[in-house]
Amino acid sequence: MKEPVLGSRWNYTQRGYALTQSIRQLRQRSAATLLTLFVLGTTLALPAVFWFGSASLSNLVNGSVGEESLTVYLSLDVPDLEGAALAKEWQEHPAIRKTTYVSRDEALALFQEQTDLQDAIAALGSNPLPGAIVVYPSSSDSASAMAENAEALAARFNQMQTVERVQIDLDWVRKLQSALNLFQIIVSLLAIFLTLTGLLVIGNTVRLELLRRQREMQVSTLLGASRSFLNRPIVYTGTLYGLLGGAVAAVLATVSYSFIKTPADQLAAQYASPFRLALPSAGQFLTIVAVCTLLGLIGGLMTVLRPSPSILTNR
Amino acid sequence: MISFQHVSLAYRTGQLALDDLSFHLRSGSFTFLTGHSGAGKSSLLRLIARLEKPTSGEIQVGNTAYSTLKTRQEPKLRRQMGIVFQDNQLLYDRSVFDNVALPLIIGGYKFKDIKTRVMAALERVNLASRYAENPINLSGGEQQRVGIARAVVARPKLLLADEPTGNLDAEISEEIMKLLLQFNASGVSVLFATHDRELLNSFKFPQLVLEAGRLSNASDASLHLHAKQAPETVS
Repeated sequence: MKEPVLGSRWNYTQRGYALTQSIRQLRQRSAATLLTLFVLGTTLALPAVFWFGSASLSNLVNGSVGEESLTVYLSLDVPDLEGAALAKEWQEHPAIRKTTYVSRDEALALFQEQTDLQDAIAALGSNPLPGAIVVYPSSSDSASAMAENAEALAARFNQMQTVERVQIDLDWVRKLQSALNLFQIIVSLLAIFLTLTGLLVIGNTVRLELLRRQREMQVSTLLGASRSFLNRPIVYTGTLYGLLGGAVAAVLATVSYSFIKTPADQLAAQYASPFRLALPSAGQFLTIVAVCTLLGLIGGLMTVLRPSPSILTNR
Repeated sequence: MISFQHVSLAYRTGQLALDDLSFHLRSGSFTFLTGHSGAGKSSLLRLIARLEKPTSGEIQVGNTAYSTLKTRQEPKLRRQMGIVFQDNQLLYDRSVFDNVALPLIIGGYKFKDIKTRVMAALERVNLASRYAENPINLSGGEQQRVGIARAVVARPKLLLADEPTGNLDAEISEEIMKLLLQFNASGVSVLFATHDRELLNSFKFPQLVLEAGRLSNASDASLHLHAKQAPETVS
């Protein structure tokens, strides 16, 4: 018997057959496929850009709060030894990351260094500055949690007899956090709508694919194909659309983001901010592709689970 | 092999496509199913292939009683029978080999078995040398032979042929008929639907004659159809 020359043996397994059929369908209508992928890519790119931007802004806020500290001014009658001991004791507290004690002499030296009031200080005859403890609160997941932690610490310090005054300024962080929260809610809503649009595009495209494959499905049914055998190529087609659409979206988002980066960095520099837009990481890129692939899978499953008229009954 | 007990099938309009059919076909038999167009031949085959469900009555194929058959068991049932169609139902987006291999892929056969079985089936229909071609490049008779190879490749016990020679000339029809006889000789039960008088007269096999959904030879159907007859050709 003649030995046939065939393609990969995997094409003759049930899963291989399904994938081969799906890829063949996409390739047979390459122009339509490319157009659909572009539609998917542009639809899903916008939420991706928002996500990248939102992540950068969150980092900015968290980073800013992370560098914030409280300055606790001790009473004038607290000697340096006691101040240093207090600083050491507070550092053990779980809500505190680090403390630094600034003695009265160091405070005076700093004051003299940074101002032109040396003569006035000398006229007083004694050091009028108290010792101070600079407290760095522990890191937290969000800026608002860190701000709350810092304020709780400030309130606690204020009740101590040895403390004269606590200086903290986190109002701007709260305002920025509120603005960021609002921005994230708007962006999330927009992302949900656009993602749903992407899901509908995939579902509709796969539905059309199913109609195009009607004849093959009829023949396969007559030959004893199970429902899962019939549905598998449809689900794979949806997943492929998601995967490829996700890749297009991730590329478009990265390119768009790189256009935004330069002017955003320039703006930040003008405000003397260390903030710089970071280009999307490989992890973010892959996350977008993975999420879109999942959308494609859901679109494919929605199509095959949706009741359709029997492909066999002709009565 | 096939048993019908008072089987009826009605359209949604209420009109009867098949009316109170009772017959029994033995394992290994070759039976013609005949009657005018619209007499119900295709409907009867569709009932056997479980593509339709009877309005009333009981069907049994082999050891399977259709009344107790669950929907998820239907594909397995169909895999145990081969079906040949008048319009051959080939897929023109793939090669002859891949068309014939489809029932085996559906059945989850191993690649090695698929290769062996497909080439053996194509050898039997004299098309092994054309396995790589697209069936659209084959003649009508050759396409029908590919359809037959696909129907028998999984070695079914029952072959249902729905007017397989309907679109073919007399010479090719006889060729197809001889092929089906070969399979019947190897133990496959064949139910061959046709209204080709010439073919019916040439091959003396029991006949189920349908007229307007009823068996017109019902009285002697059991008598004829229980007896296994040797293939007999009249040239």
